[in-house]
Amino acid sequence: MARATVELPSLLRDVLHKDVLSVEGQTLEDALEDAYAQLPGLRVHVCDETGKLRQHVLCFLNANNTRGLDTAKQPINDGDTITILQAVSGG
Amino acid sequence: MGGVLIIVGTEKGAFLCRAAQDRRSWAVEGPLFKGWKCTASGRSPSGRYFIGTTSQVYGAAIQASTDLQNWRQIEKGPAYPEGGPRKMNQIWTFRTGKDRHFAGVDEAGLFVSDDDGSSWRPVRGFNEHPTRDQWFPGAGGLCAHTVLTHPKRPDQIWVGISSVGMLRSDDGGHTWLPKNEGVRNMIPEQKPLGIGYCVHSLAQDPDDPDSIYRQDHSGMYRTRDGGDTWEKNEQGLASWFGFPIAIDRRTGTLFSFPMESDEYRLPVNGQCRVYRSRNRGDSWEPVGKGLPDAPYYSGVLRGAMAVDDLDPAGVYMGSTSGDVFVSPDLGDSWQQLPCRLPRVLHVAAYLEK
Repeated sequence: MARATVELPSLLRDVLHKDVLSVEGQTLEDALEDAYAQLPGLRVHVCDETGKLRQHVLCFLNANNTRGLDTAKQPINDGDTITILQAVSGG
Repeated sequence: MGGVLIIVGTEKGAFLCRAAQDRRSWAVEGPLFKGWKCTASGRSPSGRYFIGTTSQVYGAAIQASTDLQNWRQIEKGPAYPEGGPRKMNQIWTFRTGKDRHFAGVDEAGLFVSDDDGSSWRPVRGFNEHPTRDQWFPGAGGLCAHTVLTHPKRPDQIWVGISSVGMLRSDDGGHTWLPKNEGVRNMIPEQKPLGIGYCVHSLAQDPDDPDSIYRQDHSGMYRTRDGGDTWEKNEQGLASWFGFPIAIDRRTGTLFSFPMESDEYRLPVNGQCRVYRSRNRGDSWEPVGKGLPDAPYYSGVLRGAMAVDDLDPAGVYMGSTSGDVFVSPDLGDSWQQLPCRLPRVLHVAAYLEK
């Protein structure tokens, strides 16, 4: 079981009143589920009705964009940082 | 004695505008929820406020507060099931009541709360209506934008949906019938289903809840029988097209903001003018003393006009260019608030205790 940090972007911090969470798990999916359990309002902003990341939301594991990867198969290590952020979507 | 609070929901946050009951001098605070679209607000009889927030990136939610300072997101807000075909894009309206609140949303759906807004569940008879597969979005999305209830018949509910029409339930939301007879149909192939009408907004008569006024894509209408039949009432209007309609709950005075045709969607002749009816829609007159005389080409969206409960009533509207206008005297005179906000999506007026 690894302990990692989840960092949230400003817009989510402003409505959820938290910007950093300490989470546990063996995989990225575990870590995100732990974050959703600690902060129940978070899931609706990160995932859409498909159960996957919203179209314009990114999830980085350290310096790596995890879009398209199977979060259940992404191991995490102690000290990892998981960053939720808004995609650069033009405009 | 409390003052007046206007909640102005914009494309990039909500603003709180306050004045004493004379409504002459205003203070503007905000933004709340900076960067979020603030699309609806409501206040329950308990004093709990709700604001609907959404974002193209992060989706829709409801924020709640009892003091307008400390806000908490409702965890069990309106939601469509994971894996289903529908998306929760926006909270469009709240209809709060003593025991039950409703929320109308985009994609068009109706949700209900029996615990003062702490949890919401779908109204399945509406959300799974037999015609649901034939509902298509208009320019403003597929939105259930207005919910009305009957003060003495709790099982009666009306919902307006753009590009679909008005539906009414007489059994607490279990079954719904389209109620658009007399309104011009916009999608002829859907007429046999009773849908394909494009209601833009609805206002309910305070003295007779079966009398409802309707700014429709195809004109200004009213019904006196709860929607069973509709008739046009456009005498005096600069244009039959527009989006908002609001009513003074004390006198039944109506307010609208006509726009030039569904093709142009601009104020008629570039004039910022509110139209008022003092006779339940029999005739309309322009009012605008204090509104800009310079060419004005910003619109007023369907949710961006409101009336307070004072005597005389205050009237409020926000424009797509972020101007907020207030009238303390039933529309006779107006002033512009000293601010320019993001595009105004929603305006609601409350008396503070």
